[in-house]
Amino acid sequence: MTADSTPALVKQADAEGPAPAGSPAVRGPRARNTQAYLKYVAAKIFGAAVSLFAVLVTSFFLFRLIPSDPVKQMTGGRPVSAEQLDSLRRQLGLDQPMWQQFTSYVGDALTGDFGTSFQYHAPVVDKITEALPATLLLTGTAYVLYSALGIWLGTRTAWRNGSKSDRFNTALALTLYSVPSFWLGLLLIIVFAVGVGPIPGMFPTGGLESGNESGFAYVLDVAHHMVLPVITLVAVGYAQTLLVMRSSLLDEMGSDYLTTARAKGLRDDTVRRKHAVPNAMLPTFTLMFVNLGHVVAGQILVETVFSWPGLGGLFYQGLSVPDLPLVQALFFVFATAVILANTLADLLYPLLDPRVGR
Amino acid sequence: MVERVPPPSAQPRSRLRILLASGAAALALTAGAVVPGVPLGAAPQQAQAADSGKTLTVAVAQSIDSLSPFLAQKLLSTSVSRLMYDFLTNYDPKDNHAVPGLATKWEPSADKLTWTYTIRSNSKWSDGEQATAEDAAWTFNKMMTDEAAAQANGSFVTNFKKVTAPSPTQLVIELKEPQATMAALDVPIVPKHVWEKVKDFSKFNNDKDFPVVGNGPFVLSDYKVDQYVKLKANKDFWRGKPKFDELVFKTYKDQDAAVAALRKGEVSFVAGSPALTPAQAASLKGDANIKVNEGPGRRFFALATNPGAQTKDGKKFGNGNEALLDQKVRQALFLSIDRKTIIDKVFQGHAVEGQGYIPPRFSEYAWQPSSGQSLAYDPAKAGKLLDQAGYALKDGKRVGKDGKALDLRILCHATDPNDKAIGKYLKEWWGKLGVGLKVECLDDVSVPWYAGEYDLAFDGWSVNPDPDFVLGIHTCAALPLKAKASAATDNFICDKKYDELYKKQLAEYDTTKRADLVGQMQSWLYDSGYMSVIAYPNAVEAYRTDQIKSITTMPEAAGNIYGQDGYWSWWSAVPADSDGASGDSDSGSSSTGIVIGIVVAVVVLAGGGFLLSRRRRTTADERE
Amino acid sequence: MTTESMPASTPGAEVPAPEESGPEEAKSAGALARARKRRSVARFWREYRSHRGGLWGLAGLILIALIALCAPVLTGANAQSVTEAPGGALESPSAEFPLGTDQFGRSVLALLIWGARVSLTVGLLAAFLCVAIGTVVGIVAGHFRGWYSTVLMRVTDWFLVMPTLVLAIALATVMDRSLWTVIIAIGVTTWPTTARLVRAQTLAVESRPYIERARALGGGHGHIMLRHVLPNVMPLVLAQTTLVISSAILTEATLAFLGLGDPTITSWGGMLQDAREAGAVSAGDWWYLAPPGIAIALVALAFTLCGRAIETVLNPKLGVAR
Repeated sequence: MTADSTPALVKQADAEGPAPAGSPAVRGPRARNTQAYLKYVAAKIFGAAVSLFAVLVTSFFLFRLIPSDPVKQMTGGRPVSAEQLDSLRRQLGLDQPMWQQFTSYVGDALTGDFGTSFQYHAPVVDKITEALPATLLLTGTAYVLYSALGIWLGTRTAWRNGSKSDRFNTALALTLYSVPSFWLGLLLIIVFAVGVGPIPGMFPTGGLESGNESGFAYVLDVAHHMVLPVITLVAVGYAQTLLVMRSSLLDEMGSDYLTTARAKGLRDDTVRRKHAVPNAMLPTFTLMFVNLGHVVAGQILVETVFSWPGLGGLFYQGLSVPDLPLVQALFFVFATAVILANTLADLLYPLLDPRVGR
Repeated sequence: MVERVPPPSAQPRSRLRILLASGAAALALTAGAVVPGVPLGAAPQQAQAADSGKTLTVAVAQSIDSLSPFLAQKLLSTSVSRLMYDFLTNYDPKDNHAVPGLATKWEPSADKLTWTYTIRSNSKWSDGEQATAEDAAWTFNKMMTDEAAAQANGSFVTNFKKVTAPSPTQLVIELKEPQATMAALDVPIVPKHVWEKVKDFSKFNNDKDFPVVGNGPFVLSDYKVDQYVKLKANKDFWRGKPKFDELVFKTYKDQDAAVAALRKGEVSFVAGSPALTPAQAASLKGDANIKVNEGPGRRFFALATNPGAQTKDGKKFGNGNEALLDQKVRQALFLSIDRKTIIDKVFQGHAVEGQGYIPPRFSEYAWQPSSGQSLAYDPAKAGKLLDQAGYALKDGKRVGKDGKALDLRILCHATDPNDKAIGKYLKEWWGKLGVGLKVECLDDVSVPWYAGEYDLAFDGWSVNPDPDFVLGIHTCAALPLKAKASAATDNFICDKKYDELYKKQLAEYDTTKRADLVGQMQSWLYDSGYMSVIAYPNAVEAYRTDQIKSITTMPEAAGNIYGQDGYWSWWSAVPADSDGASGDSDSGSSSTGIVIGIVVAVVVLAGGGFLLSRRRRTTADERE
Repeated sequence: MTTESMPASTPGAEVPAPEESGPEEAKSAGALARARKRRSVARFWREYRSHRGGLWGLAGLILIALIALCAPVLTGANAQSVTEAPGGALESPSAEFPLGTDQFGRSVLALLIWGARVSLTVGLLAAFLCVAIGTVVGIVAGHFRGWYSTVLMRVTDWFLVMPTLVLAIALATVMDRSLWTVIIAIGVTTWPTTARLVRAQTLAVESRPYIERARALGGGHGHIMLRHVLPNVMPLVLAQTTLVISSAILTEATLAFLGLGDPTITSWGGMLQDAREAGAVSAGDWWYLAPPGIAIALVALAFTLCGRAIETVLNPKLGVAR
């Protein structure tokens, strides 16, 4: 979610938050009340299924609006005859009427077949499974790091609200948050991959591996390649978690029960650890799930800047053809990941809410 | 209201801790400070010489679309095909004339319709089998009979009637019409015994069984999507074994990243896409161990005007501005383009001023306008021509007889920085002339282009040693059958005189006579004002001289290295001496990279651990 | 930043806004209402003033807006012309060109100043579009019950699960390259969040007793939505707008960087793309590369600071660092 997403996306957290306050949706059904919970689960799963289908339909039509001729783009600049173009079009199924293309797309997609990539002449599913690990590795690592960092710093800053360290950390996070990720990536490349002045270029400029290592050396090689992109993603991404954690903790700390607990003579630390933090974790938890959904969508910009062989780069490259089977499948996969993560959050939320069932 | 919890007394220690931990970024960045002593930037990490002999690593911007020569369309993929499989003929690196490849000799019959090729007997497939005429015949027949196999190179066989192999060393091709391009069949010949097992050519990408059987100077040994293609030297290649043991094409989507990789020695060569930018070239020229190679390019960069889009049977369509149907208007526009400024400012000297249609690099067919014919920069004359054409200047705008201002559109490729830059200049130059211009940049210009919905367009083609293709795209035969259907035509030009010349040159087997006809065609094209060639951009690329001692450019005197017509550059590249001092430090610094990797990984892990333990310790502290 | 706005939408949260208490509503005399409005604005400003971050942000914005407005005076009207460019290609900073020149020999500082106009315009218009759609959808979905509310919320949810940047890129690819394309692509993809927030707030407002009274007195749907709900959600919308602007500016830069902006117009993201295409990264021309990125970050930060300050004024529980 972080880098190439923008602050607006941040807002999804609360908008998507399970059972928004005031909405008629079930608010925190009790886990004990199994029947109500099952009903709630069924409703959520049905909603997710509807969303999935809507996304499937969108993915088909959205990219067909692009004013482009895939066949011409694919053969760009090479000697091809009109007959060849026609035959290519026939092979790609582009000569069929739109509705026929649509029904076969939906039919095939339901059985897990997303067709053959125009530009790679290989099943789209294969292309996606090839690029998925790279994306998961990069954005997944960054996700874990920035979530942990955000929660930790958020807790600390809230606890020391108003102190110098709070102000410094909040300001730093907000500033990094306002920085375009691709720009930060370019700067990091200049400074730490190429080297400036006394700073040697100590990291690779891009890619996932050098291509000539094996065994443990390979693991280190990949880790070495990951440093700069991960730093970029974490720097731009941790602010969100920090701010959410901080504000929900502040919110909690104002609650009456904490005052009571403290009045009863409980130590600050115990109050914080046992009561405030777990309660304040909920909104953060929601945000983390939303972010989790976006881990799959990868980071189009960061992947491009660092030549990372992941899904984001694949999508952007596919869009320029446009490689219709590839981009529509990727779009579907991206949206599906978000839907699944959100649904999961919705289902777990009532079970995790410590205020419920106590 | 918030009940503020008093912060633990702000001892300097705890503040320091927070500052220290205030971001993973800061943490990992300190990694740089942890290893200041390692001489990294100083010694390039040799392109991995240690285990498998000499490796030549090439940074490319493209990714592979397919490794099957029947499907490959992109320049990188076709270049790799050329290294894997021998073609019937090749082009001489000095002057582009056809030289033997898999065929040692080729001759037309008296009626010009039958060509006989003698296939060499000293070419072996890498699995030990002999390469024969039968393989060639099978390759061509497959393309003629299987639509899926014709995707990439089908245009070469459309005029073929029959292809046979009467003996292992003899290939006979019968044609429907005479064709002068028979020594320029850029078709990789594949081993029949391997490829006849392939079921569906439209889905077979030739990237599963390594090494891939071939007979070119290199054998494909490994491939990872969007990452690299690896090739090993073919020891038995008939022209001789390449000097490098391994050739790797590594993908860098970002050109700056590729340049940085060259600086550090991660790669030996950077191919620009399509060229290094002037700023990149200038900055690389300062490096001691890097040579910037610049040679005349094979592309022309032109402006095309819409001559009124039409179908083969003359039905008009599209919405090109009718003012452009007047030759005077077209010439006026071209007269007000200062090509020299474009060369100086946009290309910053890395291009040659445009004249004829075919770049001067192909000296055999290149042509220049005579001094009387030339449309050199002359805004005053352009203004007069517009006056004559009936477009008078009114309040700074050219207004036609119908009272409408002359406003034009130009189609530009959004992905080409040169299009966008030159668009800015055109807008200002034509603005001074009184002509309005809207620059419309698209990722894919083909849709408005084939619909004829444009006034002008940035145009450009990569020209082959044989000019047939780039000439053919201006014939009436190339026009679309239906309105808006895609077709081979470049710019809807259709002219009887040009078509006649085209037919004549295709049937002319005498090179000098053919060159003369080609010159006449270019002269007609120049005068028509349908096309104006602005520049021939140079190929600008760079390599490390401490890794590559020498490499053949094409043309040999001053030419390009990447994307040649032939395998000359990679086949001829000689590795630099590695026994010297630099060799030692190379292996040292390659492990330095790993050391740094370990240090960084440790620092990041330690940082994470530190954060966690800090958390625990704080609680412990406070509990006491 | 996220949940901070959540409490604001909690039912019963006191939103300092006109017409906040019931009894006064009954004797709503024009003068009284105006006086109340003035008072609440003054109170708002007093609160706002106490947030140091918000003041910094506001000052920064005013400064940048002034610079953008005065661009022709500061740099001359011809600063963007390529044929009359005063310098050589990619010159490093000098007295004449404090930030050096671009590849056409134009002053980077002058381009930066002109770029501020485009970036601010796109940011403001896109945010306005986004918030306008979001507010309308939110109020309508919150006010009405029944199936069309459900449908509206389904559509909102559906937009919400689309990967925003991916959708914006796709939209920008579909339309031709112009400023409006970028504005529409951003506006159309970012509104659902606002809609969710506004809907929640609408539900909260409508549960108050005076709405019941207004309804009983014969107020139609239009009357209630425009006269009662809208004024009450406006503060929230204002905070939301400032936050959306900063994200819109970042998205504009992103799209321009990916080459989806209008190449004939100078914007900050477009400058970064130009710099990259010119090879400024490998040439180490930091003066060309650094300023647009810093400018983007500063403006985005300024809007974020303002937005946070406004949010905190509206909901003091948040305790944004002052």
